[in-house]
Amino acid sequence: MTTLATPPQETNEPERPALITPRKPKVGRWALFAVMVGVAVVMLYPFWVMIITSLESEQQFLSGGGFSWLSWSGLSSTIPVGQEVLSSTIVCSASIFVILCVGLPAGFAFSKLRFRTSTSVFLVIVSAMMVPLQAILMPEFVNVTKLGLTGGYFGAILVYAALGTPFSTFLFTTYFRGVPDELIEAGIVDGLGYVGVLGRLIIPVAVPAIATVTVLQFIQIWDDLLVGLLFIQNTNERPITVGLAVLAAGRTTSIPELMAGSLVSALPAMIVYLGFQRYLVKGLTMGIDR
Amino acid sequence: MSVIATKAPRPMRAGRMTLRRRRQFAGFLFALPAIALVIGFIGVPIGQAIYYSFTSWNGLTSQWIGPSTWSQAFHNSNLWTALQNNALLLLSVPFALGLPLLIAVLLHQRVAGWRIFRSIYFMPTAISWVVLGLVAERFFAYQGTLNSIIHAFGFAHTNTNMLGYESTALSALGITFVFTMIGTNTMLFLTGLATLDPTLEEAARIDGAGRWRIFRSITLPHLSRFIQLAFVMTVIALFSALFSLIFVMTGGGPGYATTTMEFLIYQTGFNQGDFGTAALYGIILFVLTGIVGIVQLRLIGSNE
Amino acid sequence: MAEITFDGVTKVFGDDIKAVDGLSLNIAEGEFMVFVGPSGCGKTTALRMLAGLEDITSGTLSIGGTVVNNVLPKHRDVAMVFQNYALYPHMSVEKNIGFALKIRGDSKAEIKRKVDEAATILHLNDFLDRRPKALSGGQRQRVAMGRAIVRNPQAFLMDEPLSNLDAKLRVEMRLEIARIQRLLGVATVYVTHDQVEAMTMGDRVAVLRDGKLQQVDTPQHLYDRPANEFVAGFMGSPPMNLLRCHVRAGKDRVQVVFGDQVIELPWDYTSSHDLPPAGLDVVFGVRPEDVLVADAQSTNTLKTRVERREALGSEILVHLSLDSSSDTSQSPRGELARPVALVAKMGPRQKIAVGDVVFVQFAAEHAHFFDVASGETLRSR
Repeated sequence: MTTLATPPQETNEPERPALITPRKPKVGRWALFAVMVGVAVVMLYPFWVMIITSLESEQQFLSGGGFSWLSWSGLSSTIPVGQEVLSSTIVCSASIFVILCVGLPAGFAFSKLRFRTSTSVFLVIVSAMMVPLQAILMPEFVNVTKLGLTGGYFGAILVYAALGTPFSTFLFTTYFRGVPDELIEAGIVDGLGYVGVLGRLIIPVAVPAIATVTVLQFIQIWDDLLVGLLFIQNTNERPITVGLAVLAAGRTTSIPELMAGSLVSALPAMIVYLGFQRYLVKGLTMGIDR
Repeated sequence: MSVIATKAPRPMRAGRMTLRRRRQFAGFLFALPAIALVIGFIGVPIGQAIYYSFTSWNGLTSQWIGPSTWSQAFHNSNLWTALQNNALLLLSVPFALGLPLLIAVLLHQRVAGWRIFRSIYFMPTAISWVVLGLVAERFFAYQGTLNSIIHAFGFAHTNTNMLGYESTALSALGITFVFTMIGTNTMLFLTGLATLDPTLEEAARIDGAGRWRIFRSITLPHLSRFIQLAFVMTVIALFSALFSLIFVMTGGGPGYATTTMEFLIYQTGFNQGDFGTAALYGIILFVLTGIVGIVQLRLIGSNE
Repeated sequence: MAEITFDGVTKVFGDDIKAVDGLSLNIAEGEFMVFVGPSGCGKTTALRMLAGLEDITSGTLSIGGTVVNNVLPKHRDVAMVFQNYALYPHMSVEKNIGFALKIRGDSKAEIKRKVDEAATILHLNDFLDRRPKALSGGQRQRVAMGRAIVRNPQAFLMDEPLSNLDAKLRVEMRLEIARIQRLLGVATVYVTHDQVEAMTMGDRVAVLRDGKLQQVDTPQHLYDRPANEFVAGFMGSPPMNLLRCHVRAGKDRVQVVFGDQVIELPWDYTSSHDLPPAGLDVVFGVRPEDVLVADAQSTNTLKTRVERREALGSEILVHLSLDSSSDTSQSPRGELARPVALVAKMGPRQKIAVGDVVFVQFAAEHAHFFDVASGETLRSR
C-alpha cells in the first residue's frame, strides 16, 4: 500500500521550553515559578525586615524578639518625622514643578522649534546627564551658599531642578518628536502663537510624558541624601532621608525606631511607584527609541 | 452673520516677521531656562572646580598654588585607595547586569502572575538607598540576618562581620549595590525583550537553533542598546549614588576600605574642610565617568 | 476681494533645491483652483507658502490685493485642511471646529451657532461630542473641513484631503467638497496628485512639474489643448498615446512616418516649425478614444496587431503594436508580444481578440504634435 512519505519524526530530545510558546512541560513551569518566588522573597526582604523590626521595642530587639508598638510611638520623639516628611514633600513638589516648567518648553523647542545651534545645545544639555554630582559638589555648595540660598529650601530646589533638567528635557524632546508637525501647523493657521501651541496643544497631549518625568524625579528626589544633607542647612527643614541618615549615624539609636522611620520614608515613594508604574516603564524606554 | 454670507475683506497686518523667524525666536526663548539652569548649576561649577583644583581653598578664601596641587594629590594614598575601591566595585557591574538579564528572561517566559512578580522586583528601586543601606547594614551585622541564615544551615559557630573587616566590607557594599540595581535593570531588559519580534525567534527555531543559540545570536544583539543604557546607568550610579549606601553602612570604613571617590570628595571637603583638594578629586571623578562613557561606546558598539 | 496672485514666486530649500520656480498665476474670488502634478512637483510647497507655513524665497504673493510675503498665517485669514486632518486629539469635534473662533474671541453663543451651522452642512450634528479617535476616516475628514468652513476665511487651502480615504469614499467626498465650495463661494486652492480629482473638481487646473507651472486652464482645455507633452500625458486616463515619428512634406498634407508605415495628416503649424527639407522628428500624440478602427479597405490607416486586451465592462482597452505593412499573416498563438505602441478605447461589444490585425486611423483634429526637445505643443497658425 503506497503511503505518502511519513512526516519527519520528532527528535529524541526532551521538549525544550521555548522562549515564547505557551506549551511547556509541567516540571519546567513549576521550577520556573519556584525560582520567581525565590527572587521575589529576596526582593521583598527589606520590607519584611523593616516591618518586623519596627514592631519590636528596643529591648525586644536586643534580646531577640517580641511585639510592640513602642518603637512607632517613640519615633516621633526621636526625630520630627512629620516635619521631615513635610519638608521632603515641599522640596519634591517644588523641584518637580520647576523641572516641568523648564523641561516642557525646552522639549518643545528642541523637537519642533529648531533654531540655529539647537542640535549642539541639545547635545550639551543631554551630556550633562553624565556629570556626577560629586564632581561639581564643592563649587556648587559654595555658589549656593554665597547666593544665600542655603537657609530654606530654595538652594536644594534649584540644584535638584538643575540635576533633573537634562534627563527631563531629553525625555520631553523625544516624546514631542512623535507629535505630528501638521497638528502644530493647524494650530498656527487657526491663529495660535507658539506659546498658545505649547499651552493648548502640546501640553494636553504630553500628559503621559509628564507623568513619567514626575514619577522618575519624585523617586530620585525623595530618596536623595547628598543634596538634602548639604543644601538644607536648617535642621528644622530636613527631608526625611537626611533625618534617617543622621539618626543612623548616631550612637544611641534604637534600631527598631530606625526601621520604623525607614518605612515612613519608603511609603510615599512606594505609593507613587505603584500608582504610576506604567509611566515608569514608558519613561525608561524613551531613551531607547530615539 | 451666516457662514454663507459673502465675505467682506478683512484688513491684514503686514509685518516684518515670517513664520520661520518667529519659530526660531520662540525656540530659543523656550530653551533658555533649561540652558540657563544647566550652564549655571552644572557647567559653571565644572569650570570652577577645574580652577579651584589648582588652589588651596577652604570654601571662603582661595590661594592659587598651581599644578603642584595635582602632583601632591597623586601622592596621597587615600586617593589611590579610593580609586582602587571604585575599580574593584566595577567588578560588580557584570553581576548588576547579568542577574537582571537572567531575571528579565525568566519574567519574559510569562509564568502565571508575572506581572505581579515584575512589580515586586521593582519595588526596592522606589525606596531610598539610605533605607536600603540601613537594611543591608542589619543584614551584614554581627547579629544580623546573614549570620542567622548561616546558623540555620547548621554552622552555628560561624559568625561573620563583613562590614567590620577591611577585606570584606567592600564586598558587602558591592552585593548591596547589585541588589539595588536589580529592579531598574530588570525593568529595562524586560522592556527590551518585549520589543523583540517573536517571529524572529520562531524562524530560528524552525531553522533548528537551540535555545542558547537563539539567545546568543538573536536576543542579545537586539538587547545591545538596552545593555548599553543599563551599563551607563549602572556605572553612573556606582560613581555617585553609592554615596548614600556608604554613608549609612560604613561611613567609609573600616579605615578607608569602603571609601570610594564620591565619598572621598565629601569627606575631604566637608569633614576636613579642604575644598581645593575635594574639587580636584571631583575633576578626577568626572574624567573617570567620561572615560567609562567613551569606553562603553566603543565596547558595546553604538549608534549615538 | 479675495483674489490670490502668485507673481514669480520661488522657493529654494537649502543651497540649491528649487521646490517652486517662478510660479505666476491668479486665482479669482470664489474660484476652485486645483494644483496637480506628480510627487515633488512643488504643489504642496506652493500651498504652504500661500498658508504662510513656508517662507517665500523670491517673488511676491498677494491675497486680496495685499502683499503677504511677511504676513503671519494667522493674519492671512486662510483656513487649511491637512492631508492627515491634524485634528486636535484631546478636543471633541465641537471644540475642534470652534477652536479658531475661540482664539479669535468670538462669543460663546456665536461660536455655538457657527459650529452648528457648519455641522449641519457637513452632517456632523450627531458627532459633536466625540473625540477624533472615535471617528472614521471620512468623519474625520469632514471635521477637518468643518474647522475650515466655520472661519469664513478669504481662502480654503486643501492639501490632498482625500488621499487617505478608500476609493468609494473618495468619490463621495469629491462631490461633497465641490458642493460645499460652490455653496460658500470661497476661493479654494486644492492640491492633489490625482488627475481625476483635478478634472472633476476644478474650475481651473494648474499643472506643475519640477516646481514649474506647465499650464493653467479649465480641465477641458487642458485635456483638448495641452500646452506640452507632459500635460498631455498627465491628464486623462488612460494617458494619451505618445509616439516618436518623422514628418516630411507630402502633397498638401504631410507624411507622418511610424516605423515603416506612413499616414497623411494635415500640417498647419507656425512658420517656426516649417518643415526642413529633410523632415522633422516630432512626438505624435493621440488619445485612446481618438484611435478609430477602420476597415481594411480604407486608406490612410495604420496596420496594428492586438497584443493585449482589457475589458473594463463599460469599454475595452486594446493595446496595439505597430505591424509591418508587408506582413499580412495572422500571428500564431504563443509568439512573443511586440512592444505596444498604441492604446485604443473601444466599445464594450467590439469583437476583438489578441492577435487580430486591426487597421486604425486618427481624426485630424484630435492629433497633437510635440517638439521632440522641449515637449512644447506645436501650435497651429
